[in-house]
Amino acid sequence: MLGRVTAPPPDATQEGGQRIPQWGFRGWLGKLRARNLRVRAYHRPGTIERCAAPGAGPVARTTSAKMAAASSSDSDSGRAESKEANSKWLDAHYDPVANIHTFSACLVLADLHGDGEHKLVVGDLGPSGQQPRLKVLKGPTVLTESPLPALPAAAATFLMEQHEPQAPALALASGPCVYVYKNLRPYFKFSLPPLPPNPLEQDLWHQAKEDRIDPLTLKEMLEGIREKAEVPLSVQSLRFLQLELSEMEAFVNQHKSKTIKRQTVITTMTTLKKNLSDEDAVSCLVLGCENKELLVLDPEAFTILAKMSLPSVPVFLEASGQFDVEFRLAAACRNGNIYILRRDSKHPKYCIELSAQPVGLVRVHKVLVVGSTEDSLHGFTHKVWLQQAPAPHSYLPSAQGPESPSGFLFPATPLSPLSPKPPQTPAVPCQGKKLWTVQMPAAILTMNLLDQRSRGLQAVMAGLANGEVRIYRDKALLNIIRAPDAVTSLCFGRYGREENTLIMTTRGGGLIIKILKRTAVFVEAGGEVGPPPAQATKLNVPRKTRLYVDQTLREREAGTAMHRAFQTDLYLLRLRTARAYVQALESSLSPMSMTAREPLKLHAVVQGLGPIFKLTLHLQNPSTARPALGLLICFLYNEALYALPQAFFKVPLLVPGLNYPLETFVESLSDKGISDIIKVLVLREGQSAPLLSAHINMPVSEGLAAA
Amino acid sequence: MGLLDKLSGLLGLRKKEVHVLCLGLDNSGKTTIINKLKPSNAQSQDIVPTIGFSIEKFKSSSLSFTVFDMSGQGRYRNLWEHYYKEGQAIIFVIDSSDRLRMVVAKEELDTLLNHPDIKHRRIPILFFANKMDLRDAVTSVKVSQLLCLENIKDKPWHICASDAIKGEGLQEGVDWLQDQIQAAKT
Ligand SMILES: Nc1nc2c(ncn2[C@@H]2O[C@H](COP(=O)(O)OP(=O)(O)OP(=O)(O)O)[C@@H](O)[C@H]2O)c(=O)[nH]1
Ligand SMILES: [Mg+2]
Repeated sequence: MLGRVTAPPPDATQEGGQRIPQWGFRGWLGKLRARNLRVRAYHRPGTIERCAAPGAGPVARTTSAKMAAASSSDSDSGRAESKEANSKWLDAHYDPVANIHTFSACLVLADLHGDGEHKLVVGDLGPSGQQPRLKVLKGPTVLTESPLPALPAAAATFLMEQHEPQAPALALASGPCVYVYKNLRPYFKFSLPPLPPNPLEQDLWHQAKEDRIDPLTLKEMLEGIREKAEVPLSVQSLRFLQLELSEMEAFVNQHKSKTIKRQTVITTMTTLKKNLSDEDAVSCLVLGCENKELLVLDPEAFTILAKMSLPSVPVFLEASGQFDVEFRLAAACRNGNIYILRRDSKHPKYCIELSAQPVGLVRVHKVLVVGSTEDSLHGFTHKVWLQQAPAPHSYLPSAQGPESPSGFLFPATPLSPLSPKPPQTPAVPCQGKKLWTVQMPAAILTMNLLDQRSRGLQAVMAGLANGEVRIYRDKALLNIIRAPDAVTSLCFGRYGREENTLIMTTRGGGLIIKILKRTAVFVEAGGEVGPPPAQATKLNVPRKTRLYVDQTLREREAGTAMHRAFQTDLYLLRLRTARAYVQALESSLSPMSMTAREPLKLHAVVQGLGPIFKLTLHLQNPSTARPALGLLICFLYNEALYALPQAFFKVPLLVPGLNYPLETFVESLSDKGISDIIKVLVLREGQSAPLLSAHINMPVSEGLAAA
Repeated sequence: MGLLDKLSGLLGLRKKEVHVLCLGLDNSGKTTIINKLKPSNAQSQDIVPTIGFSIEKFKSSSLSFTVFDMSGQGRYRNLWEHYYKEGQAIIFVIDSSDRLRMVVAKEELDTLLNHPDIKHRRIPILFFANKMDLRDAVTSVKVSQLLCLENIKDKPWHICASDAIKGEGLQEGVDWLQDQIQAAKT
């Protein structure tokens, strides 16, 4: 692994790149030991955080514990299995303790030695993201392994020259560098160009050098700068701020004479064909950086061919086309937007606004599929809109500008006083058209493309927190694989000599290799997602009649008038209802007395079969304190039909809250089976209007036959 | 055809012809094995991946073999079944160093054994656990375990570890096959 570089390419020592005569990771390690821990924490929030979450331990979370149980019921051997009776996948390998901790961007399959035997390259974060390593696997075993100076951000393979034996070069982005390997030997190291440091910070270190300030003051001042963070601090200062009091002095003495350097880090990387679209054409590396820039590198000289600015930090990149002809870059950013860039622009052409943070971006033909933190996959058109982008200065902050350069990107967050004034109009036109959305049963941890060339199928794979790997073609679910642990990285392609191999690594560091059966055909699983089948059945819609057409025309012409007429009727209806209600209140036709001074409640019960019924009136005084005095009850009824012993009587004093049952007998006089209403009025002495009234529907007397 | 050949044919001494299918995944060494079984003057020097299939002939002490050397590449594997009817014996070659694709070899073997043209025949199957010289190679016992060969109950089978480049283990396999074919005929 640690070899020496052979013949250097002619112009390798140009801008940004530096040739390494004595190659060795130890050298890098020394240089990069000053790693910025804050940067690491920010690095790809959606992915690393999940990968290296405490759930990495075997049973640290309830979900993983549940999953373990599920998988054991799934199959006796404990192997990962897709649950279908005749699975589409062959289980080639499963090692639950392979000690591979990574995410999809750091997995590549490539014919590194040009012998037709494809190897797996893993940029491994190490357990708990502590010991980053570059691993190369052949079949189920690790072929080579070497330490990395910083956490890997992405890995990619690409052809550097057209006319060499077809062994691709391997690029690994890590910290501020891209390490390029050929034949698995270190070949070139590209470093991002340094950024101008914060003048205030520079001044502080200068003072420290001349011993004009003590370490504690330095710390306070640096913290002050960090809070404002207009120009972020250098790695040196950030490391200093993490130190204990006792270590400060030594650190200052050791570092005070060094000039402070500020360098950004790479967050994502992809490849873009240079000038031919062939499978085996030369490709450029495209880097996304923490300082909101995209860089395109020359495949041979590693000079910067193009530099593009974004309104936010890119975390996922997709490229299509050729750099010299026409290309499109889609960059999913931390502000929840996807920006689309084209060859002729230094700034985004248009953007797609997501309602949540992206957790993965995959291009399937012309559709961009984005996974979001809302546990859903969205498909967007990848069509370029031939529209003029607005003047670039209207939204572009300085390269080190604060996170929110333009207000519209963060409508909810108040702008810090340091931010430039937000422009009034959206800077990047928002024009991506959403084609579909599918909801996942659990959080999406990782995504990648499944490209089955033999059948011309392209689909999206999504690894979920519940241990499932779901495969979708557009929004149609094709397959579910149930892994014994949550899958944190996925990659599909030729491995060894097998064309359709699926590589998965799990949260616990396991490695699962599955091979798609030769005879397997993905068919859309009906019913589970997508529109319900009823939506597809054709309705028997009658033909448009003359009447229908006339009516439509009339509605179109007289729409306003119709609406008004309807509204008038509606108001009339409401008015009438209100009137009837008021009338009912005024004439006390309700069983509840509404007057505030005399609250009363009445309800009546009729018992018996007839001809004599017992009528019980339950009167209640719901007021809290005041007893009700001087009330009268009067029955109104047809005297030809009913006879009551007393049609009018006094009510005793009603103590608040108590229920007073007042009983009376009612004799039905008719022998023809007629029934009628008896009205009960509750009156106040000296007032003619009743306080309340109740209508009692008397039952038909059934006692006739007996009588 | 020489005079002697004609004569032995007339006398019934001419070697019996048998049709053999040579199957297995791509890169397992099928062509290399068949090549090694041919007389040394007929062997070809460089072996390239087979396209479709090729027909080769070689002789053992008492039989004349006509071998259908099928390509093992995924896209040609669906050709195999068209020759099952004619085959009187099967040579199934496994790359014992390709641990990852052992499941694929098993899958293809199972499909073969369940094919209607094979399923109910007592057709002898000779397995070569090839490339035993390689460092990653597993033993022939392990190969037969991984392919669950013990489940083949109704057909005679035999597994030999082999190194097709040096020719080791090949003769043992061919001798077994010859015995099986002759036993079936009598
Ligand atoms: N080390 C070693 N290599 C072998 C052995 N047998 C075959 N090979 C090599 O394996 C490679 C593939 O051999 P082939 O004979 O072409 O394989 P095949 O099964 O005919 O492959 P297809 O025709 O594609 O189905 C060649 O490079 C051989 O040299 C062996 O026993 N040991
Ligand atoms: Mg061959």
